[in-house]
Amino acid sequence: MKIVRDLMHPGLLTCRPDATLGQVSVMLTQHHVHALVVADRDGRPIGIISDYDLLAGEWLSADSQSLTTMRHLTAGELMSSPIDTVEASLSLGAATQQLIEKDINRLLVTDQGAPVGVISISDFVASIAGEEKLLRSTVADVMSDAILVCREKTPLLSAARTMTQAGWRSVLVVDAKGTPVGVVSGKDLLPCVQDGVDEKLTVRDIMHSVLTIDMHAQLREAADLMIQKHYHRLVVVDKDDQHAFPLGIISSFDIVAEMARPGSTWQK
Amino acid sequence: MTSSSIGMGDQDRLEREKFENELKRILNASDAAGIIMRVIGSLAFQKHCQKYGYLQAAMGRAYTDIDFAAYHRQSKEIQAMMAGLGYHENREVFIVSEGNRAIFERPEAGLHIDIFYEKLDFCHAIYWKGRLEVDHPSIPLAEMLLEKMQIVQINEKDIIDTIMLLLEHPLGDEDHETINIKKIAELCSQDWGLWRTTTMNLGKVRQLAQGYEQLSSEEKGIIDSQVAAALNRIEQEPNPLAWRLRARVGDRVKWYKDVDDVQ
Repeated sequence: MKIVRDLMHPGLLTCRPDATLGQVSVMLTQHHVHALVVADRDGRPIGIISDYDLLAGEWLSADSQSLTTMRHLTAGELMSSPIDTVEASLSLGAATQQLIEKDINRLLVTDQGAPVGVISISDFVASIAGEEKLLRSTVADVMSDAILVCREKTPLLSAARTMTQAGWRSVLVVDAKGTPVGVVSGKDLLPCVQDGVDEKLTVRDIMHSVLTIDMHAQLREAADLMIQKHYHRLVVVDKDDQHAFPLGIISSFDIVAEMARPGSTWQK
Repeated sequence: MTSSSIGMGDQDRLEREKFENELKRILNASDAAGIIMRVIGSLAFQKHCQKYGYLQAAMGRAYTDIDFAAYHRQSKEIQAMMAGLGYHENREVFIVSEGNRAIFERPEAGLHIDIFYEKLDFCHAIYWKGRLEVDHPSIPLAEMLLEKMQIVQINEKDIIDTIMLLLEHPLGDEDHETINIKKIAELCSQDWGLWRTTTMNLGKVRQLAQGYEQLSSEEKGIIDSQVAAALNRIEQEPNPLAWRLRARVGDRVKWYKDVDDVQ
């Protein structure tokens, strides 16, 4: 039986508590990761900050005063704390249970209490597919005009494998005409880690509904929608042609990548 | 608490009756026309607090206008009804507010009627959808409490109304002569800003109630325990991720809207 240690990413990517949101966004983008462990001067983990947390930067910057405040906000102030942990020797099922129950995306892995790595939903998706998880050395996850799609009848295992191979966190489900009908994310696949994958299952059985946003919407509107609805990605559509094949997908990571862009408001 | 004197001051019985009688007249007309109009504001508290309503006059709480909640789909019927009752509409308010608010006046009688369609949207939005059918002739008690608790710069008049409400009605998980604290907790659990202002103001009510000589020590004790129970129930409600994320930013970013009052 596989244990947490078998799937985790060993080592910790950390940032200091006084790092600004702009600095954190650069680190996330450079390392192609979705979260950093916030560590104190002695390297002790005190919290986790994710790309989703950074959405707050856009979400709450409704005016110049708020933007100034958010630009000065630090990782230590925005991080989730305390960190949810799991022992490296525990079963994957126990870790999955914790992710589902707490509705979180990652756990700090400890070995007899000492932090040794991180395990995230993407690691579990890779385990379902029976694939080695690829390092995100491409910009695929940041691209918004390329979309990973499948049909409703696509076997679940196939979707998991494709997501892992492409290094994507979700796959868009479309009908015969290309109209979006659902999304499958790592979170949807988590129960399969616990219960095992029924080969008859298709993406239709586990997909969740699509949340769309107009191509002309402000980035802040996208952040607002993601946070209010607790979605990590939105399907970008042309509101004048709702049933057409979508124009792209915008994820929390895309917004962070924009925050990290040299010359953006967050880097001044 | 701000020192605004609007809604405070001595008001003789005759003047108070003018507002109370006009309220009856409008409610009779709206009921007869099948229009759902529910009173909010000081007169709603007076209507719903038979035992403690006397505190308004005793504490110098005056009526200044009559406020209603209504659905936008009936705005045309309301317009016609109010015209029939001798009122002139300030049409500009309806247009500028994009149909969210209407003001009707009878200046010769010193009467000013404010109608809030679909929601009360000052520091925080309180929505009426599906709630105006719950009580009569006012909005439900939960919304009455929220109507006051959503005001960041809360005034003494709002404190007095809230004190009356908390003295008169128990907290519970339903409406009808009960303050539906479950509903309030649910709304606060979805919106950190509303939670922040509501809990802040409940604390102010708790503190300021102790200073009113018009209240007995037993009544002050009731206020204290009602506020404690309300805060406790609100804190028990689970909060979604958006709420928790907003809470981490806290007061650093303004959590309410400035009130752009249409006079």
